[in-house]
Amino acid sequence: MKGFLQIHDPLKPKGSAVGIDLGTTNSLVAAVIQGKPACLSVDEGESKLLPSVVHYQPDGGVAVGQRAVAQLATHPTDTVKSVKRFMGKSLGDAETKKLGSYAFVEGSGVVRFKVAGGNPVTPIEVSGEILRALKRKAEAHFAGKVEQAVITVPAYFDDAQRQATKDAGRLAGLDVLRLLNEPTAAALAYGLDKGAQGLYAVYDLGGGTFDVSILELTDGVFQVKAVGGDSALGGDDFDRAIVERLLTQRGIGAPSSAQIAELLQLARAAKEGLTVATEATIHFEGQPFTVRREEFEQWIAPLLQKTGVAVRRALKDAQVTAADIKGVVLVGGSTRVPAVRRFVEQSFGKPPLADIDPDQVVALGAAVQADLLTNKDRQDEVLLLDVIPLSLGLETMGGIAEKVIPRNSSIPIAQGQLFTTFQDGQTAMDIHVVQGERELVADCRSLARFRLAGIPPMAAGMGRVEVRFAVDADGILSVSAKELTTGVVSSVTVKPTHGLTDEEIEQMLLDSIDHGEEDMARRLLAEQQVEAQRMLLDGHKQLQQNGDLLSNEERGVFVTKLEALEALARTTKDHHLLKQAIVAMDDIAKPFVERIMNRAIATAAVGHRVEDF
Amino acid sequence: MAAATASPSERTHFALFGLEPTVDVDVKAIESRFRELSLAWHPDRAPAGDSRARLEAVSRTAQLNDAFVVLKDPVRRALYLLKLAGIDLESEAGAARAPMPLDFLEEVMERREALDQAMAAKDHARVQALADDVRAQRALALTRGQDALRSQDVTTASHALGRVRYYARFLEQVDAFEEEQLT
Repeated sequence: MKGFLQIHDPLKPKGSAVGIDLGTTNSLVAAVIQGKPACLSVDEGESKLLPSVVHYQPDGGVAVGQRAVAQLATHPTDTVKSVKRFMGKSLGDAETKKLGSYAFVEGSGVVRFKVAGGNPVTPIEVSGEILRALKRKAEAHFAGKVEQAVITVPAYFDDAQRQATKDAGRLAGLDVLRLLNEPTAAALAYGLDKGAQGLYAVYDLGGGTFDVSILELTDGVFQVKAVGGDSALGGDDFDRAIVERLLTQRGIGAPSSAQIAELLQLARAAKEGLTVATEATIHFEGQPFTVRREEFEQWIAPLLQKTGVAVRRALKDAQVTAADIKGVVLVGGSTRVPAVRRFVEQSFGKPPLADIDPDQVVALGAAVQADLLTNKDRQDEVLLLDVIPLSLGLETMGGIAEKVIPRNSSIPIAQGQLFTTFQDGQTAMDIHVVQGERELVADCRSLARFRLAGIPPMAAGMGRVEVRFAVDADGILSVSAKELTTGVVSSVTVKPTHGLTDEEIEQMLLDSIDHGEEDMARRLLAEQQVEAQRMLLDGHKQLQQNGDLLSNEERGVFVTKLEALEALARTTKDHHLLKQAIVAMDDIAKPFVERIMNRAIATAAVGHRVEDF
Repeated sequence: MAAATASPSERTHFALFGLEPTVDVDVKAIESRFRELSLAWHPDRAPAGDSRARLEAVSRTAQLNDAFVVLKDPVRRALYLLKLAGIDLESEAGAARAPMPLDFLEEVMERREALDQAMAAKDHARVQALADDVRAQRALALTRGQDALRSQDVTTASHALGRVRYYARFLEQVDAFEEEQLT
């Protein structure tokens, strides 16, 4: 029997930096607690996985996680799932529209979902809601503020997708210490655990993205040798493969969005069932549809082949062969599918490692990196050297993309490229920054356009412009251009063509801060109300059981104070006031609690010999 | 490459690694030195609050990464040595100063035509055969270029390495083709 106020564990660190795995299907938050990384409970039933689903209510309220999942079938357009696949994308991007049955707002560069309860929202805002929910859970866990985070991204994310993720972090009020590549995070979780040395591969098949990384671990340096992957391939596609077959079999040509949403959920459950069972049955609109495991494996075989291509390319880029790889780490829920494990084993000629939960390993690694970056005592342990996943270049004459920084270059990195003017008297040069491996600009990702003006008129070929690319440790690019004879300079931090402007982000940030404070006050009040309820219950219970330990006068004071607290808890909106009353109540209860404890000890001692204690 | 901005005071990639400019480096030693220098210079090791130290760490590490890429790759290393000797084949002006002989350009055109045909026909075996031949030619030319660099024969080196660049571009095209076939 303790006092009425729960005593906080003094060893529990306050306001730690956290690691966040912002996943397509689920998101997690982890922190290093007493030297070990651990995932925190974030959803109903103490679950460590927060479904990356956000539901917008007509009253402007927002639900995240299981509560949002519950709305998927009935409110498919107001409930955004797999938002990660929309990050940094425009409506014009080929795969964007097939991803779900959302009501998109046409006419702007950035994807916007029309949802209930207010303005259309961008993927950045939706992701911001998920991050904010995780931040709150972490704050509740630590009973303090959490403001610093390492957020993981697929290694294959391009500049636009990285920017979008960083912006989402800012919206959620987080100082993003680092965007960390997911496979690198996984390797960190494994590597530190085992003191590994040598070449490792990480095969990361998540809900919506596939990544493969080749890393070399030597003397405390984690050096990423090569990354590859597909930012639009994942377990969601397995579900879709099942749904397509079912629709074909039933002859449903134009399914409604509600039908698709329901089917996707059913297909997912079937897929999960097939990891242990050899067949699974979906009951849809009153009729069964049975999927045998072999069939399912045939359907997903082309998808696995696609991952194999990326694996071969990464090995080639790292200038190693599959035989050189000492261990293969599995990451992502989709690697639970037995066919995926078999495929990995075949590709590398050795059984993969999976002793850390593939759902948690990325978040755990992110927590380790957050700790390494903020905890002075740990800085000497390990250093991560990461790379850029895709080549960065410039458009040159004839729509050809000229690479300035090739893919898999270690970051940070800076490179310059010299261009000459091509017309007599040319006074400006348009700089078009692109990302990708293809030769034609049209096949690459356009990141930004800007213009260097003020070049003095000269004969063609005489004006020389140096374009300089700098990529920081997050893999984010800035570009500057300089005319060398006159020193005219123009520079931009590349804001992706399909991203939001800084002004838009600022506005969103302001909006969210306003709401954030309201939300915070409401939440703190709710916490104190719960605390007060607990104390009242406890108080009344003790009065009943041990009331005889108090004099009449004492009992009178105690009851009056309890009633006052009860009234305050019901009426006040001020969490500070309520907290003070709770602390005061605890003081009043102290002598009573002492007597109760003495009695408890005395009772327990009866019938025991001294030796028993 | 930013040839035009390289001032004499800027340390060479070799100096950064504590080496004399040389064709023959121990790649294993370079890799190990790269890790040591990364541990010493990386911005993650810079004190969190000190933004100037951080900025400096970023720029030093960027230089280090750049140097590492050049030094560990025999072709880029050779081209870099040639650049230190005054001929930058990777800049337009430099390439213009070391024109390729006409018969070589004809050879390249013929090879390219053959490659285009094989790619159009999606004849993988033929593409690979052409690529293997070019790889062998590239290795020969690189050896010739390295020998010339060792004996300070800049003219011969620039011709040999010029060939290497043409062959490398040919092989890049093969890679791009193979990749597009795979995906």
